[in-house]
Amino acid sequence: MAVLETETGAGVHREAPPDTRGRSSPVSATVLGLGIAGLGLVLGGLLLIQLNYAVSDRVLTQHCIEVGLTSDITGALGVCNIVEALRAQAMTAALYGGIVLGVAGIAFGFGTYRRMDTVRRREQAVTGALLGILAVQVAVVLVVFRSGRPDLFAKHFLNFTVLSPYFIEPFLIAMKNTIILAFVGELGGIVIGLILAMLVLSKRRAARAPARVYVNFFRGTPLIWQLAAFYFLLLFGFEVRLSAFTVAMIVFALNTGAYAAEVFRAGIQSIEGGQMEAARSLGMTYGQAMRFAIFPQAVRRVIPPLMNEFVILIKDTALVIVLGLLISEHELFQWARSGVSDTFNATFYTATALGYLAITLPAIYLVNRVEKRLRSGLVGITGAGH
Amino acid sequence: MLRGVDLRMAQRDVMVIIGPSGSGKSTLLRCANMLAEPTLGKVWFEGRDITDIRTNLDEVRTHIGMVFQAFNLFPHMTALRNVTLALENVLKLDGSQARERAMEQLARVGMDQKTDSYPGQLSGGQQQRVAIARALAMKPRLMLFDEVTSALDPELVGEVLEVMIRLAGEGMTMMVVTHEMGFAREVGTRMIFMDEGLVVEQGEPREMYYHPQTDRLRQFLAKVL
Repeated sequence: MAVLETETGAGVHREAPPDTRGRSSPVSATVLGLGIAGLGLVLGGLLLIQLNYAVSDRVLTQHCIEVGLTSDITGALGVCNIVEALRAQAMTAALYGGIVLGVAGIAFGFGTYRRMDTVRRREQAVTGALLGILAVQVAVVLVVFRSGRPDLFAKHFLNFTVLSPYFIEPFLIAMKNTIILAFVGELGGIVIGLILAMLVLSKRRAARAPARVYVNFFRGTPLIWQLAAFYFLLLFGFEVRLSAFTVAMIVFALNTGAYAAEVFRAGIQSIEGGQMEAARSLGMTYGQAMRFAIFPQAVRRVIPPLMNEFVILIKDTALVIVLGLLISEHELFQWARSGVSDTFNATFYTATALGYLAITLPAIYLVNRVEKRLRSGLVGITGAGH
Repeated sequence: MLRGVDLRMAQRDVMVIIGPSGSGKSTLLRCANMLAEPTLGKVWFEGRDITDIRTNLDEVRTHIGMVFQAFNLFPHMTALRNVTLALENVLKLDGSQARERAMEQLARVGMDQKTDSYPGQLSGGQQQRVAIARALAMKPRLMLFDEVTSALDPELVGEVLEVMIRLAGEGMTMMVVTHEMGFAREVGTRMIFMDEGLVVEQGEPREMYYHPQTDRLRQFLAKVL
């Protein structure tokens, strides 16, 4: 045990404190390399081999014909190429190579990261190990997947050739309809939500209670039920014949309104009470104080949660499937459903997922950016007054 | 909070209200412009019973300025806009008139160089001076100050007190809740000492300060000094 000296008088022998860090390891970059190589081998191998099979001239193999991918099936060759690429020896090498590299990265990384002498090296070691875990996970999943019946899966979910008659115009129209449904629903919802929020925030119970009932009803029942119920309520109850598309937009707006009301309420309540007092002390009416002082601040705070609601609504538009739309009104999900029932092939669902992602990913990206900007405390944007 | 307070103020009075926290000082002040509604009792302003529910409180409040401990500037508006907002929307002045009057008041508190700054870019003392200008721009006949220096760093207290001293000198009628005993003693024309919702002692500030009559005030003064 080293003795820590408290006096620093001349001639006092001072012992250096013990080095508790242990020897530093030189292998951090190697570990990071192992992780990257492992993951690269698995993902890169998969991609390159699939690409190679997809673009080179090939014919149906014996194996494909044996499992039933005969030439009378639409897109049989494409599916066969996917399956053969998975079964290729190069793929085997990439998978097992990736597993070996990944395991090595995990072992070295977690074994040595505590002994690294700089933060940078320690992070390299840990990152290498994490990438190794990822490589092993992906490789194992692929190994198991190709030992099953990848031909059946590929035939039903990855046979993009069957999409061709339904692409690209009907698909784009479906995407457009999805966006219209979500956008109109969100806009209507914001208007309804604002009105509801003002009612919910009233000090008078007679104004509050009905708004609460509305909000609780729409938040408490399934959206799919609301769609069906409103359609038939309008049709039979009021003998109003609106297109399913119109009814869907109305119901989405009504439903989103309930959620937006809660978002607005929380946003308004998050503004310090002193803001309202200051505005009222200047002689502003309650309405003026809301409009000039409270609301502009609240809006900035509710933009991110409202945009999140919008992303959720984009996906929920799939529920209009219960109403049965005209072909020109088909949104993404119904486009897929009718394609599947025409062709008995589920690749339409795969394409639909990609279609939703093409809309939602930019929206999610935008939300994150706006959130970051608001949080960075831009002057006059957040409540950085005090 | 308040348990029976009977006070009367004349024009040009500077009434300083002191007392321990929770004694009802702020509540009393907020009753003066009805930000707090008394459950019982009445408040008169220039002969009008403003506790009468038929009173147009928004109109009454245009004559009573208030400055808060937490400044309460509108953070999404520049200093200038903070001042012109109510001039345009409450007093219905047109843009140039409002601007002119706002600049006048901002100059009065020494903030005419920072008119385009947002509150977040100003120090506490500067924010509080803008808040005072915002209240003064309405040309109020009574100003309420609610512990306006309590949230400030010690070295910024002076610049705000200076403005208030000048205001008092110009004859503004003021009600000031404060912990600044020096200010209370020197600037106040009347002092109110409150405790547990009651006015325990009132009188001439220096007299009260140097010769407190009640034990309660003696104890309080001993603690704050």
